Amino acid sequence: MTWSRESKLNGFLVLLSVMAAWELVSRTEMLNPLFFPPMSKILRSFFSLVFSGEILAQILSSMRRAAAGYLLAALVCIPLGIIMGLFNSVYRALEVVIETARPLPPPVVVPVAMLFFGLGDGMKVFVIFFSCLWPILLNTMDGVRNIDRVLIHTARTFGLSQGRAILKVILPAASPQIMTGLRISLAITLILVVISEMVGSSDGIGYFILDSQRRLKVDQMYAGMLSLALLGYLLNQLFLLFSNTFLSWHRGMLRSDK
Amino acid sequence: MSILDVEGLSKSYRQAGGESTLAIENISFQVNEGEFVSLVGPSGCGKTTLLMCMAGLIAPSAGRVVVKAAEVDGPPRNLVLVFQEYNKSLFAWRTVLGNVLFGLEVKGKPAREAEEKASYLIGLVGLDGFERHYPWELSGGMQQRVAIARALAYEPEVLLMDEPFGSVDAMTRLELEDGLLRLWKELGTTILFVTHDIEEAIYLSDRIYVLGRRPSRVIQAVEVRLGRPRNQLTTRADASFMELRNEIYKQTAPRLSSGW
Amino acid sequence: MSLSNHERGSEVKSSGRFNFSGLALFAALLLLWEFSSRFTPAIQPYFPPASRVIHSLFQPSLARELFGHLLDTLGRFLGGYFLAAAMAVSLGIILGYFRFAYSLLEVVIELLRPMPSVAIIPVAILLLGIGNSMMVAVTVYACAWPILINTIDGVRNIDRTLIDTGRTFGLGRWKILRRIALPAAAPYIVTGLRISLSIALILVTTSEMVVGGSGLGFFILDEERSLHTSNMYAGIVVVALLGYALNRLFIAVETKAMAWHRGLTARGML
Repeated sequence: MTWSRESKLNGFLVLLSVMAAWELVSRTEMLNPLFFPPMSKILRSFFSLVFSGEILAQILSSMRRAAAGYLLAALVCIPLGIIMGLFNSVYRALEVVIETARPLPPPVVVPVAMLFFGLGDGMKVFVIFFSCLWPILLNTMDGVRNIDRVLIHTARTFGLSQGRAILKVILPAASPQIMTGLRISLAITLILVVISEMVGSSDGIGYFILDSQRRLKVDQMYAGMLSLALLGYLLNQLFLLFSNTFLSWHRGMLRSDK
Repeated sequence: MSILDVEGLSKSYRQAGGESTLAIENISFQVNEGEFVSLVGPSGCGKTTLLMCMAGLIAPSAGRVVVKAAEVDGPPRNLVLVFQEYNKSLFAWRTVLGNVLFGLEVKGKPAREAEEKASYLIGLVGLDGFERHYPWELSGGMQQRVAIARALAYEPEVLLMDEPFGSVDAMTRLELEDGLLRLWKELGTTILFVTHDIEEAIYLSDRIYVLGRRPSRVIQAVEVRLGRPRNQLTTRADASFMELRNEIYKQTAPRLSSGW
Repeated sequence: MSLSNHERGSEVKSSGRFNFSGLALFAALLLLWEFSSRFTPAIQPYFPPASRVIHSLFQPSLARELFGHLLDTLGRFLGGYFLAAAMAVSLGIILGYFRFAYSLLEVVIELLRPMPSVAIIPVAILLLGIGNSMMVAVTVYACAWPILINTIDGVRNIDRTLIDTGRTFGLGRWKILRRIALPAAAPYIVTGLRISLSIALILVTTSEMVVGGSGLGFFILDEERSLHTSNMYAGIVVVALLGYALNRLFIAVETKAMAWHRGLTARGML
């Protein structure tokens, strides 16, 4: 969703004026500076938190949990999704269980996870794992199902065994949709790591933001949110880089279709 | 010597209502080593079903297919099928070279040797310089040439082709026909070519089996005694070409003169 | 390689046929839960027998309590969701149609979008306290994003000829927006609305957990903390049913409202 350089310029001007207005409104106490500390103070707090390494430590502990849950979900769901896509009987057998668990909003899994894992990392990893399951699983299955029959026959006419056909043909052919699932789950991961840290944790970026609010260190709260936004942006870019490298053929194909 | 024997092949499909329909019935024919043989028949006569059975992709309901004295009960190692839908059959995530290398990788050829072989075949189908291109960057005719090169790199003794030129424009089609004949002469692979275009079948083949309507069976075997190399202008203008064409037309489309 | 499912298309939903193996597995898991819990009292604090969960669901006192929480949650959900839809669709149409308006907000949007929306909860607590308005506000904020982004995309992808057709009929800009841009972008808007449906439920339950007081999110967390495990599971069953019902309702409405679009897609016109 980008237009032109000129529109970016406009946008930055607006952003700067919003920040300036914020500063002004806060300094003149038109809005309660307790809730809206001056922008300069927020930024100062942000930089001092960054340079003291405190934010980084919080983000690192969040990221550790996020990565564990996310990768675990991918590791389980991609193979399972492929199997479900290939064998309809497996899908049918799991269908009722999946459709029962899927409408559950992931945050309510937090208390269950707390019951089993306490307040430690295990709880967060489980919650993230659970909430990432569906997009990866169902997109992988869909991707496999949508592979054209001709492609499968091609693999077979070259004498590929089932195992090698999965690695050499099915997995790459379904990879664009698997990637879609992974992208959706990435956003969900970030949301759930924050939620689980807000509800039951003593560190991590989610905890840090909520805790700053409770202790009325409002500038720190905003600084935490800013770093969370930056983290989200960075992860997204990283993912795009990764998927563009692996799926460059697919992007080209989509372009040539137009 | 016959390399491919189809003996009494039938295939029926079960339909939604539970009853079964016969797609092909009691088909028998032979292809000799090094021959170029075509199967022609009206659209929807079960040609694709027949090919699938021969390629070991589906099991026949009765009868059997024998390739080099071995009965087919799965995709045979020495036979490859080329599909009409090149855009679906090529691996979009592999380059031209990668596609052609595919069969060689499956066979476990050493990388070096495989690459030489692939380059040779890419040259044979006239695509040198396109090795690093992706299939979707090429025209339809070029894509089908990649598919053919990929199949031939696997070094099959029998090449089955399912209306391979059915989705390209008329000019490209003529080029592809001549290209295929050159490859066939160069490599000596036995080719079984399925088409619904009678003239194409005559132009390419040593022999033609004509299939009837559903459930189809072989209604005629036609020897094509036209000289080689063939030429799009002179061969197609030959009197015996016309004669063969008319003969087969009468067999497959008896209602041709009466219109709809 | 099994390909029996190939023609079934990509829609992931039940085929409507009676799914014996699926129900059998589900029942088997329930029975496993029931009996492993009954015969191993040690795990009962974690896994009370399924029958006990079902039993507590039907106890009048708990049922009444749960129903009250359900109403609270539902009210917050509906308020947040519909407010977000109204605001995000109108803003999205304007931003999608008027390039200049978008250029002004682009950087702000791109800055806020990657932030996980739940992080707004502390700010909302600070500004709005811990009442309903705070929970509705965070729901509105989070739900607005997918709807906004999809609406902008949808309006941008409208075929130029459609707008020009409106012009030749002498429609003014606002009429074009309402009469042409809105329906033409509807398929995108519906996608946004579908995504936001689950997001709304996430935000409502999360904020209920964080600030407490009432609602299913609060109930579930509270019962966990007081180790009333079977009540906690009962709450989870209710949330799942709510999520399921909302989803079905959405699909039903969508099927009715978007019939023209499905017809178009089925005929290969899109």
